[in-house]
Amino acid sequence: MRLGLVIDLDVCVGCHACAIACKEWNASGTIGPLSDYQPYGAEPSGVWFNRIRHFEMDEYPNNKTVNFPMSCNHCEDADCVTVCPTGASYKRAEDGIVLVDQDKCMGCNYCSWACPYGARELDRSSGTMKKCTLCVDRIYDQNLPVEERQPSCVLTCPAHARMFGDFDDPDSAVSRVVRERGGYGLMPELNYNPTNQYLPPRRKPVIEMSGAPKGGLKESIKQFANRLVRR
Amino acid sequence: MNAKIKLENHDRQQIKYTTCYMCACRCGIKVTLEDDKVRFIQGNRNHPTNQGVLCAKGSAGIMKQYSTAKLTQPLMRKPGTERGEGIYEAISWEQALDVLTERLEEIRATDPSKLAYFTGRDQMQALTGLWAQQFGTPNWAAHGGFCSVNMAAAGLYTIGFSFWEFGAPDWDFAKYFIMWGVAEDHSSNPIKIGLEKLKRRGGKFVTVNPVRTGYSAIADEWLPIKPGMDGLLAMSMVHVLLKHEQFDYDFLVKYTNASWLVVQTPGQKGDGLFLRDEAGNPLIWDIEKEIFKNGVDGDIAPALFGEYVAPDGRRVKTVFSMLAERYLDVRYAPENVALEVGLPAETIERIALEMAHVAFKEAVELPIEWTDVWGRKHDKVVGRPVAMYAMRGISAHSNGFHACRAVHFIQMLLGALDGPGNFRARAPYPKPIPPHQLPENNIDIINAPNTPLSRPPLGFPTRPEDLVVDEFGNPLRIDKAYSWEVPIASHGMMHMVITNATNHDPYAIDTLILFMANMAWNSTMNTKNVQDMLRMKDPEEPGEYKIPFLVVIDAFHSEMTNFADLILPDTTYLERYDTISLLDRPISEPDAAADAIRYPLVTPDRNVRPWQEVMVELASRLKFPAFTKPDGSRKFKDYPDFIVNFERSPGIGFLSGWRGKDGSKSLKGEPNPKQWEKYIENQSFFAHHWPENQKYIRYANKDYLEVAADAGFVGKVEPIIMQFYSEPLQKFRLAGMGLYDGPQPNNQVDRERLVKYFDPLPMWYEPLEQQRVDAGEYPFFALTQRPMFMYHSWDSQNVWLRQIMAQNYMYMNARKAAEMGIKDFDWIWVESHNGKIRCQVKTMEGTQEDTIWTWNAIGKQKGAWGLKENASEATKGFLLNHLISELLPEKSGERRVTNSDPVTGQAAWFDLRVRIWKAEPGETGSWPQFDTLKPYPGDERYERPNVLRYDARSHEKN
Amino acid sequence: MHPAFSVIFFTVASGAGFGLFSLLFIADTFKLGGGFERDQLVAGGLIAMALVVFGLLSSTFHLANPKNAWRAFSRFRTSWLSREGVFAMIFMPLALIYLASIMFDAPLWLREISGFLTAVLAWITVFSTGMIYACLKTIRQWNTPLVPANYLALGYASGSLLLLLGAVISGLDTMPYIAMSALIVAIAAVLKAIYYFWIRDPGLSPTINTATGLTRAKVKLLDTGHTHGTFLTQEFGYRLARKKAGLIKTLVFVIGFGLPGLMLIAVFNGESGQFAALAAALGGLIGAAMERWLFFAEARHVVNLYHGAQRC
Repeated sequence: MRLGLVIDLDVCVGCHACAIACKEWNASGTIGPLSDYQPYGAEPSGVWFNRIRHFEMDEYPNNKTVNFPMSCNHCEDADCVTVCPTGASYKRAEDGIVLVDQDKCMGCNYCSWACPYGARELDRSSGTMKKCTLCVDRIYDQNLPVEERQPSCVLTCPAHARMFGDFDDPDSAVSRVVRERGGYGLMPELNYNPTNQYLPPRRKPVIEMSGAPKGGLKESIKQFANRLVRR
Repeated sequence: MNAKIKLENHDRQQIKYTTCYMCACRCGIKVTLEDDKVRFIQGNRNHPTNQGVLCAKGSAGIMKQYSTAKLTQPLMRKPGTERGEGIYEAISWEQALDVLTERLEEIRATDPSKLAYFTGRDQMQALTGLWAQQFGTPNWAAHGGFCSVNMAAAGLYTIGFSFWEFGAPDWDFAKYFIMWGVAEDHSSNPIKIGLEKLKRRGGKFVTVNPVRTGYSAIADEWLPIKPGMDGLLAMSMVHVLLKHEQFDYDFLVKYTNASWLVVQTPGQKGDGLFLRDEAGNPLIWDIEKEIFKNGVDGDIAPALFGEYVAPDGRRVKTVFSMLAERYLDVRYAPENVALEVGLPAETIERIALEMAHVAFKEAVELPIEWTDVWGRKHDKVVGRPVAMYAMRGISAHSNGFHACRAVHFIQMLLGALDGPGNFRARAPYPKPIPPHQLPENNIDIINAPNTPLSRPPLGFPTRPEDLVVDEFGNPLRIDKAYSWEVPIASHGMMHMVITNATNHDPYAIDTLILFMANMAWNSTMNTKNVQDMLRMKDPEEPGEYKIPFLVVIDAFHSEMTNFADLILPDTTYLERYDTISLLDRPISEPDAAADAIRYPLVTPDRNVRPWQEVMVELASRLKFPAFTKPDGSRKFKDYPDFIVNFERSPGIGFLSGWRGKDGSKSLKGEPNPKQWEKYIENQSFFAHHWPENQKYIRYANKDYLEVAADAGFVGKVEPIIMQFYSEPLQKFRLAGMGLYDGPQPNNQVDRERLVKYFDPLPMWYEPLEQQRVDAGEYPFFALTQRPMFMYHSWDSQNVWLRQIMAQNYMYMNARKAAEMGIKDFDWIWVESHNGKIRCQVKTMEGTQEDTIWTWNAIGKQKGAWGLKENASEATKGFLLNHLISELLPEKSGERRVTNSDPVTGQAAWFDLRVRIWKAEPGETGSWPQFDTLKPYPGDERYERPNVLRYDARSHEKN
Repeated sequence: MHPAFSVIFFTVASGAGFGLFSLLFIADTFKLGGGFERDQLVAGGLIAMALVVFGLLSSTFHLANPKNAWRAFSRFRTSWLSREGVFAMIFMPLALIYLASIMFDAPLWLREISGFLTAVLAWITVFSTGMIYACLKTIRQWNTPLVPANYLALGYASGSLLLLLGAVISGLDTMPYIAMSALIVAIAAVLKAIYYFWIRDPGLSPTINTATGLTRAKVKLLDTGHTHGTFLTQEFGYRLARKKAGLIKTLVFVIGFGLPGLMLIAVFNGESGQFAALAAALGGLIGAAMERWLFFAEARHVVNLYHGAQRC
């Protein structure tokens, strides 16, 4: 299996629901707590696994705003794993999820240097690196209802801009949608082979218009005629 | 190599369902509790509103529950300290209730109007309104006057339902969707769910908005309109549709008043009113029988166009002829409005024709048999799959009522209302146009001591007689709603209360109760001056304030509570019983009537009480008739008891599910003592799904209207004819002209406003404030919107949400900024006719060139909302509100007039014009700055650590 | 990249230590300038080891969870950081054996083999340090063979200047030491110059377009989704003004290469030799520290593309 996410940039409205749902689940989840620094102070900050950036394409008035959620891409060639000196970072053979063993991590930040996507954030309180687990503590939990065994960001996304599935299965919903919509991975030139795929904003639908009306254009009320229509 | 993944131990967990209250969306939530701590909040998959999804606020509810801004006990301003100093003493609930009861008893026994009770972001207006009505004060309203009343009133006076909460786009069938001026906040989850459905099906999404963020980001086409020009754009589209003869003739004839005849006797009484028969029915000209007939009847073949002579000799003309004459005028031609609205003429024409194409060439037909209200059976439902939604950008302008009506005109012309793929009604709507409910205006009843009002304080006037004024035409309400100045102020005018009460205009009040409304900060116009007004002493009553007693009810320490004389601390939404009632703002969806409850999931750890509970208590102490048994004893033990047993009319109560003694009845039935239990068993909501034959065209759907009449949604089964031409407006206009048989205004300002703005057909005019400020001097429009992750969730003290945004910037068009030598993160001054502020700039492409805008309510007063003094919300964040006046700029010879829509009283906070310039080097930080709020007694319990590590399951890990 | 003091100190000190130790072995083996005496060799070796040890200790200060530092040796097969640690750990006992064999007059073969292995390990360790940075595809300015070359050259340059200082203090014939220093410092200067010219335009690198996949038009960041800094902006967000970078580069060459060069001439001319050698060594170390600071400050991690950078 190669589990990961599809993010549909065409429908993401940038609401940050995924980021908060992620924070909420993982704060009390197996990797939690996730520290918040200066939570009431001057410059609040904290550990998040999911951040939403907002970009603008092109120039006014042809510009388009693109909301851009990012989390761990669970890369096939994950340098964050190979550079880790302690063995805390690992990629699971059975499903491709990249995890950090909190009991082994020494907090050297090196894996975060190797990650092009900013997926890893150090929790200064625990001194360990933390990152998206693809909610590994949800997706395999037999005590949760089947339909809820999904990452919490996917469960919550109000625009259904996030899909979760197995990219090794060519017939899975994620594989199909990536084929149909031209899904792509980020920064392909670095050859990390990210598992997560992004669906591009679509092109405008074209409305086929009919020509001028039969009776010609109306300039004045006198050109209209009553029709017999019974209520 | 692989470490074993530890899965969660669920042994100590409980799952409960309730209703979110992080915004007005009111989604169903599934809450996992670990002991008494909140482990996880997620969307309820079965809930009609959110269908399992949940927005950022919803998930951040945990951090609201554990907020350090929570009030902990009742507080009384310390004797000897001044209002606004923020020095308080703890008192017991008994003391607090005694003080308040005594004061209210005195007011109620002497002059009930001396109590003003206004509510903010609450969602229980059915209860608060009932309470005010029972008290006997007309001075009650919620925050609709500065939020949505233009949308509500325009819809309810035109189509019988409305944008805002009384309708929703049909996402399942719409192929073309236009969103007008919807800030990225409104109707949180349903719109997000819907936009995705629409786009997934290949539908086109067009957004009309000066700013491209949020929903507009994913639009297929962005129309960067100049603020306040939406009405003109809509009217130009009407022009294009007429010119190309793209309108649904059948729909106009059957479901609208397009064929009704209007009397044409300019300068005479009765001009512009409908030609009516002796029974008062509006008449049409039947082209088959060539006689005048009742325009409400079914058996007619009306002329849509034409001028006729009535039997009494008066000339009459069809509504549609008048409409076509007006909007075919070249004034509305795209090329003649392009410059004003800021969009190319070709675009305006193309969008109008695209809509027409989709409506007429790509119609949806559903094989559903249904019966119309005139008794004819139909074998299918035809939908013209163009849907619209509109909100803030239309609403918050002083020309918004007419603009919104113009948008409804497009819908009516296309026949695109409540059919498949349209903007569709949500129960209890549609209602008669306007709804048959008049505001209490009997001065004897209003002045009578210890007497409830005979009607609710708010309603829908149809003629000058319905105004809430005295015999001299002076307002009877403190906010002047339903006065000659703003006759159809159907949501009240909360934004005027403090100003009017301070000026003792129209009269002085004794006590102001504010519930969940931050009127000393982001929910008021003119913030700084309003704070001064709250502090203002009455020179005639030494020691007294202009507003003598101020009671604030809230769960959190806000800029507003700081001004209270008495603070009553509320619970959070996870700690109390609550109803989301069909008598109130509905959570229904087009396909289902729905209501919901909340019940306590978490035990409050502080000395707080739900305001619902306190209101029932006060109502009982004050012996309101609806809350008292004939023997004088209290009728309801508590709030849950009240909800179950109170009936507005027999069988109709706050909750519509599981009624009847055994819980077997829906919508209507006797009280069920086990009703709460049934709701809790059923995930805290009730949904009545409409059968197929009752889903569409409900303004003329017999089967639907029968159910609606039985459930009390409408008075009786009768067609709801949509109103292109609004006769109520014409009546007010006639009064302004001195041509009305009935009350007329005696003030010249009022007369002029009525004549000018009460046009029975939509008109566009420059927003009122802009008529009085020099566009050359103040070249920019200035707007605000709430970010999606904080909409209606005013308390951005939430430690997770504030990490996303803890400072707002002023956004402006990048090219414009470059021209002015302004760069990202420069500090600038922004000045309006009302004042100036200093703030920090960010540039972007997606802002209309003449517009600047910012995120609202990020700026906080130091020390408020449980934040530390140096929070960037206070040091760098800012409010635009300081620049916006609640009054129009002064004009000589005129009394000060509200800065609101002249029809509805909607606060015109989007009419603002400003100028900007770069601050001097060294001028940094937001300005103005205010004193730091002091912590309250009880605040010691909160630590506010430098690192927070929330974990509901920490007991398992340590 | 955020220039962390602990890492700068670590790489400069350990580089100099490893360089010094290797060159000490060469000086000993070839008896350069007459050769150091036993105690001098041991003292020099201990000084070199102290530099390495303090460097390594300092590097643990930047660990957020040092109690797990011992695990750092476990990923030798894939991680250059792990390799660096392992090689440094092997270096230590070998270095001690070498010094012990000098101290206790052990058989020459033991002295020479242990010395040789120690020198090789020193070289490999410094190379590994360089590879820690050079292997990162996320940082274009580092992802080049010039980086380990620079690390080696600078480590050995500062080591050679320290050794020269030792030679001057010990009263040896300074000529071979001057020659060695001159050669290595010159190589280091040339390599550094190449690096500085190269990073002005390091070729194809990720852009905001490839980072977002939005390649059809110009893309700009509108908002990062957080008002204040995050771990990512603190760790990777460091920005250095071009002008300041130019100034520091000049200083690196003036203090790190120019000053030692001049001092070498002074030593050669026999003018206040001890002072000149000390100035040369200090100049080398300070220059290396400035170079190292700049090495971090000028590195642009590609994650900055998600925080507003157009290219990295």
